[in-house]
Amino acid sequence: MSSLPLYVKCLWACSVLAQLFLLIFLFVKGNFRKIPYFTAYVALNICQAGFVLFLYSPWGPESHTTLALAWASESLTLFAQALATFDILGVTLRPYQGIWGLGWRALTVVSGIVVILVTLATRNHWAYAQWFELNRGYHLTFASAVIACLLLVRYYSIPVPTAYKMILGGFCFYSCTEILINTILQAFLHKSFEVYQPIWQASRMIAFIVVQVIWTVALRKPLPVEKAQAASLTDSTYQQLSPEINEQLRQLNEKLLQLWKLEARPQ
Amino acid sequence: MSPALLLLAGFAVVLLILLAWILLDTRKFTKPEAHLDFTEESDRSHATYLRQVRQAMAVEDFEFLAARGSRELSQRTRKERRRIVLAYLYCLRNDFLKLWRLARVISTMSPKVGVAQEFARLRLGLFFFLRYELIRIKFLFGFAPLPELGSLSEVVSRLGVRLETAMRELGERAALAAKLASTLDGRRLDSR
Repeated sequence: MSSLPLYVKCLWACSVLAQLFLLIFLFVKGNFRKIPYFTAYVALNICQAGFVLFLYSPWGPESHTTLALAWASESLTLFAQALATFDILGVTLRPYQGIWGLGWRALTVVSGIVVILVTLATRNHWAYAQWFELNRGYHLTFASAVIACLLLVRYYSIPVPTAYKMILGGFCFYSCTEILINTILQAFLHKSFEVYQPIWQASRMIAFIVVQVIWTVALRKPLPVEKAQAASLTDSTYQQLSPEINEQLRQLNEKLLQLWKLEARPQ
Repeated sequence: MSPALLLLAGFAVVLLILLAWILLDTRKFTKPEAHLDFTEESDRSHATYLRQVRQAMAVEDFEFLAARGSRELSQRTRKERRRIVLAYLYCLRNDFLKLWRLARVISTMSPKVGVAQEFARLRLGLFFFLRYELIRIKFLFGFAPLPELGSLSEVVSRLGVRLETAMRELGERAALAAKLASTLDGRRLDSR
């Protein structure tokens, strides 16, 4: 811990403080009942900060033991983050059974594609920075999947309470900044690790503090009670109407195409 | 910076832009069922004004004006009428949008949604708006293929009528189901 610069220590303290505030808000406003996985994620993050602090005291931040254990604890919080996000997406989309089914498939396909792309893009860097690659790969997959779901929500005009939007947006923002930080610092500073580490930690923490503030603002009020809305149409109605509409839209597009292909005739 | 890392950084920036676009969306969202109200106001589709629009852009009118009046008058009339046609095209787009939204509402309210159907509709919508913009530009630059515009209005109008019929049938079925359910409940109460 002693080898970390003072500004990193200050940022660390601010980050933990922000998380504590958030946790208190979650309990005081009773929101922990509605989003238990998110509450667990915040609590786990505080525990992780304590754990890393504990690791830094005997071994210092650069020892292999510290790095391995710190990254292992990070993978736990990342797993909790995925669970919390899935829970919030479920709360938002589950009343819309058909769209939730579509969302599921979109999540799987997008995640699969991104994992393949990340593996292909980083296979040459794997040897010397496996933890960073894993971390970046996870955040890339996570952000893409959540944005795919948010796009789906936007496309179908599904009303999402602002607080949930802010939580999901916070997760995505953090993941995107993490990808950027990891990529840019890896590209420019990977040869001088001593300079690299404090900058990397500070920039991550600033992004995380920003997200904590967003979440605290989002959760300053109790979350709205969502009534479960059963799908009001039958499956056969969709099966009957959807192809019909698509056929009409296709015809309309063909007409438009013919219109476009016509020679321009000045009047 | 290697191309792979550049690609990753670029991807992250794109994701951030997309996120901002989604979160800064100012549209007011209501429950999907609220969008079904449009069926009541769609009795008079804009597509029904096609005859007047076609007449407004008839070449004979401009020739007559140029011969009897002046070339200036003919030009001014043409400009004004072109503005009307553009407004009409815009209204047609709105008609299409309403129907497209209705299709999405049906998907939202369905317990099962077909990926292929939804993807096809998304693709069709994207192509429609792309073509619409191209045709609009054509009009803006003074080229007006009016007979084809007629076919476009016809399709929008036909789609509207068919959807309205379908929605009316749905409403009737829902009412029948509700009636049946209440009758069954009543019987159950009687049997207790």
